[in-house]
Amino acid sequence: MIRQVRVAQSGMAGDQMSNAMILLIVLGLGAVGYFLGRRRALAKVGGDPRGLHSLPRYYGANVAMNAVVPALVLLVGWLIIQPIVINSAVSGMIPESAVSEGSSISLLMSDVRRVADGLDAAVSQGVMTEAEALRLDEDAVKEALAGVGVALGADVTAETLAAAQRYREMAGTGNVLKAIVIIGAALIGFAVAFGRTTPDFRARNVVERGVMMVLIAAASIAILTTLGIVLSLIFNTVEFFRLYPASQFFFSLSWNPSFSGRGGGSELGILPLLWGTLYISFIALLVAVPIGLFAAIYLSEYASKSVRSVAKPLLELLAGIPTIVYGLFALLTVGPLLVQVFGDDGALGVDWMQGGTAVMTAGLVMGIMLIPFVSSLSDDIINAVPQAMRDGSLGLGATHSETVRQVILPAALPGIVGAILLAASRAIGETMIVVLGAGAAARLSMNPFDAMTTVTAKIVSQLTGDSDFASPEALVAFALGISLFVITLGLNVIAMMIVRKYREQYE
Amino acid sequence: MEDMIQMDRAMSTQQDIKIRANGVQVYYGENHAIKDVSVEIQDKTVTAFIGPSGCGKSTFLRCINRMNDTIDICRVTGDIRIDDEDIYDPRVDPVQLRAKVGMVFQKPNPFPKSIYDNVAYGPKIHGLAASKADLDEIVEKALRRGAIWDEVKDRLHAPGTGLSGGQQQRLCIARAIATEPEVLLMDEPCSALDPIATAQVEELIDELRQNYSVVIVTHSMQQAARVSQRTAFFHLGNLVEYADTDKIFTNPEDPRTESYISGRIG
Amino acid sequence: MTDASLHKKGKSLLALDARTKKRNAAEARFKGYGIAAIAVSLFFLVALLVTIISNGVPAFTQTYVNVAVTLDAAKLDKNGNRDIDDIKKVSTFGYKPLINAALVDAVAGIETELSDKDVGKILSASAPAVVRDYVIANPDQIGETVAFRLLTSSRVDGYMKGRVVREDLARDKNLDAAHLDLIDVMVGQGSVERVFNWDFVLGADASESRPEQAGIGVSMLGSFFMMLVVLILALPIGVAASIYLEEFAPQNRFTDLIEVNISNLAAVPSIVFGILGLAVFIQFAHLPQSAPIVGGLTLTLMTLPTIVISTRASLKSVPPSIRDAALGVGASKMQAVFHHVLPLAMPGILTGTIIGLAQALGETAPLLLIGMVGYIATNYPDGVASGFLDPNSAMPAQIYEWAKRADPAFYERAWGGIIVLLLFLLTMNLIAIILRRRFERRW
Ligand SMILES: Nc1ncnc2c1ncn2[C@@H]1O[C@H](COP(=O)(O)OP(=O)(O)OP(=O)(O)O)[C@@H](O)[C@H]1O
Ligand SMILES: [Mg+2]
Repeated sequence: MIRQVRVAQSGMAGDQMSNAMILLIVLGLGAVGYFLGRRRALAKVGGDPRGLHSLPRYYGANVAMNAVVPALVLLVGWLIIQPIVINSAVSGMIPESAVSEGSSISLLMSDVRRVADGLDAAVSQGVMTEAEALRLDEDAVKEALAGVGVALGADVTAETLAAAQRYREMAGTGNVLKAIVIIGAALIGFAVAFGRTTPDFRARNVVERGVMMVLIAAASIAILTTLGIVLSLIFNTVEFFRLYPASQFFFSLSWNPSFSGRGGGSELGILPLLWGTLYISFIALLVAVPIGLFAAIYLSEYASKSVRSVAKPLLELLAGIPTIVYGLFALLTVGPLLVQVFGDDGALGVDWMQGGTAVMTAGLVMGIMLIPFVSSLSDDIINAVPQAMRDGSLGLGATHSETVRQVILPAALPGIVGAILLAASRAIGETMIVVLGAGAAARLSMNPFDAMTTVTAKIVSQLTGDSDFASPEALVAFALGISLFVITLGLNVIAMMIVRKYREQYE
Repeated sequence: MEDMIQMDRAMSTQQDIKIRANGVQVYYGENHAIKDVSVEIQDKTVTAFIGPSGCGKSTFLRCINRMNDTIDICRVTGDIRIDDEDIYDPRVDPVQLRAKVGMVFQKPNPFPKSIYDNVAYGPKIHGLAASKADLDEIVEKALRRGAIWDEVKDRLHAPGTGLSGGQQQRLCIARAIATEPEVLLMDEPCSALDPIATAQVEELIDELRQNYSVVIVTHSMQQAARVSQRTAFFHLGNLVEYADTDKIFTNPEDPRTESYISGRIG
Repeated sequence: MTDASLHKKGKSLLALDARTKKRNAAEARFKGYGIAAIAVSLFFLVALLVTIISNGVPAFTQTYVNVAVTLDAAKLDKNGNRDIDDIKKVSTFGYKPLINAALVDAVAGIETELSDKDVGKILSASAPAVVRDYVIANPDQIGETVAFRLLTSSRVDGYMKGRVVREDLARDKNLDAAHLDLIDVMVGQGSVERVFNWDFVLGADASESRPEQAGIGVSMLGSFFMMLVVLILALPIGVAASIYLEEFAPQNRFTDLIEVNISNLAAVPSIVFGILGLAVFIQFAHLPQSAPIVGGLTLTLMTLPTIVISTRASLKSVPPSIRDAALGVGASKMQAVFHHVLPLAMPGILTGTIIGLAQALGETAPLLLIGMVGYIATNYPDGVASGFLDPNSAMPAQIYEWAKRADPAFYERAWGGIIVLLLFLLTMNLIAIILRRRFERRW
């Protein structure tokens, strides 16, 4: 079997190792602390746990907790803050004049980082010694780094190299300091808690307070995640709007990124993408809502228990299939099938469809994906309509379908609207089906058999292409992301409000 | 038991028999809920079903308009005739039957629609109105007969769920009589109502007797005594005693009836 | 009494009136729509499954040709001293003629218009490397004739599976109809055969030009390490968060904020989590691109809301009397929760976690953004650390990668990969169902 030459990893691995080492040492201290704390507590009362305020293991846990938790918090904080400090110090070294036309300080900084990482890699792979790395001049650097598999685009300037050297130096010092501070913190925590291990010490209360903190921290991760999403979207979007006018982004009717990768000549209007997104979602809902709704009505109102117990899990099976499968189904099965019908030499002879990827392809498949989503939500909602409503209507001599159409559905309408909004939000945010099934061309067309593209598909293509991370072509993905986030969030919030109101009505 | 029914029959010949049940058995799966019940219910009379909880009053009532069809596990055998037509005949469409035999439920269950639409619902689906004006007239008449017209005439298009409990129940009665049924079944129509609303509904039931055969299930002996002319006492799925209301309450024949009336079982 | 009702009164129940007939027809139609909707959904399901199976099953077999290759010492070890470094100097190009010669020998008895050189085209481009690896591993075999089972090219494989038909070959410069005639004969002789394709299940991905060699094994490992990260992080964090929210959280703004956040995160499109992973873990924290640890972290954030929601439901289903009983014997609230409530809720929590993991396992979109696509997963990770940190692919990303490649032979791999993925998902869901059945408790 042929083994491909492994793409050289930057200095990351070494860095990770030292972090892992620190982590291991801290955890080791915690484990030792547990046993020592426990033993000390027991020793103080001559081995009779009844003399202690809390169970012995709480004394052990207290020591372990004091050793581990502050140190870990520090470690995480350090990992976040160190790069920021180094970045700002190093970017201060780059003179304004070195930032050439059509470039930006962040582009240069990514060069700096790449050079620094490359040098790290070179040293760690033994291609050069640390001393050689320090003496390297700007002409030799490109070659040297190519040797370890780090390709540099532009030539390395003297400023970049100097900055890179400074970057390495600061990172090195930082890492040593990090190890000292964090292990020191663990030791101090250990010592303090160990010293406080006396029979009267209320270890359980302290440990429980600590556990409570951990629980609160875990719950706060939800907030942090949202914050992370919002901040990363906003920062990069602001960066994008510095390079590209916002008005163009929101109102331009064309999407045409240049492929040079470094700005200039790109047209990045969101409207054609939004059009594609909405068109595909619309077709998907056109498929999913009637089928899903009728399936739900049948299952909850008509189906016998045995039919229900078979059909419902089968429908849920559709919901459990990953979207990549639907994407492939669209690309390789549904698309070609539709071309056979609506394409050039198709069965209908209408020549509406040029290729397999089209709004119709993606919409149809997405509709199939959404059927179980709509049906299970509607099922819940229809079942929430009280039986008394059905009895009332049937007792008046209404047929079952009259009851459903004229009493149950109107009663369930708000809930069903909520379900449809949720489905719409799903459709708008769906990625794999459109990436594979909708096509890549941004187009403002009415023909559902045309290939079009969507917001999500372009987020993917802009961030997986070759364009530099700091270029408007890549950054636009964040502006698209924030638009997507706002739209889907809005839909979700409205839908959930409606559904909650509806539920309360029948509580 | 047999001769009791014979006696009843003799008594009721003066009145038309509207509903005639013979040997009715009802099963919920394995549970035998109604055991061989035979009864004759007269036209233009209020008949009360009384008995301890779970004895099958509702079940029997629901047999009369085949509401039990909506429960999967429920099985009915025997013979129930309305105007001498077997309502369990395969040719009978329960939809048509239920138009003829209206029902009012224990808890008021107005649809989440306007008051007007609640009442108009039945006439609309049965096609009783030729025009909008016709429908208006039917709605008004039903609401008047339901003794609620004066309270709602100014807000016919407000939601029916916004009414008070008693008003809602009268609305449901109005809704049931809007389809011009011949029999009206009421399953504890007052149990969710306060005494004033109960009095209003009882008054209404007494009026309805002019036109309909009314069957009412109730847990209140006083109510049965107040509104009904005939009373049937059910116990553990059996029809124990069926006679004129006065007789049941003053001089019951069966010891079980007596102990129930005097509050010893139930 | 109105006329209408008088009119109605006389009517028999036994005869259906016209209006009832019409209404019954509408009823039947309505019911028909319902049945049709179910039928259409089930049809889609069946169509999907049939497509997957019919397209994917061929990936599990592969066509091989059995040839006896003479490992000519004059070519492979010119110095004749069996020095391993010298042997390594002979590149795969040095092996190609040997294999070709062996193949020509093998078809010697068969009449064909192909030149000797062209016969070799039925083999995969990987064949010389296989022989070379063998020689390097067994230098003492040089000079011997060794029987090899070598991969055929993807075209030949496609022909055996019915994917490639003779008409297709007109435009193909790699294979002629004459090759296929040759194959037909060799199949008859038993030297060409289709066998179960372990390399697909366990092997590594191959470059764009060798679909016959591509396997999903390495990306399976990538997925495995990712799921490990998700399990290690999402389960404790999710359970801790749920315990706080369900058992301890006071009714205040902060709690509301968390609740709103969780329910909203559950509905955020997965691609947005990809953006988050890219910005936070790669751009900001400089974790390695394409590494399972980044994928795992991203999927953890995505799965957390699911796990929290299901965990809270299981905690809620433990009746308050259990807590009261524990508090009644003097346990602290924390002890009551950890000693009594949590163990009782555990089956439900595990079920929810498995379902969350299954969801994460099939998720593709976020992986695209953190670089798990486009990386050709040809190497097994060297160890646990490298399993987490070295670039790898993941099953869904690998499937996407194959679907994007130009050669249709990769489509078969993609469908086959889907079968593998679905088998994993099915197993996980079955475990969840069994757990639920076995430990479900009705209070
Ligand atoms: N839908 C049903 N499914 C199964 N069993 C039922 C159902 N409805 C009633 N039963 C059973 O049938 C028997 C009679 O019930 P029914 O509701 O007729 O009593 P009831 O006399 O109306 O009581 P109550 O005065 O409490 O309303 C009971 O044993 C009950 O459990
Ligand atoms: Mg009852």
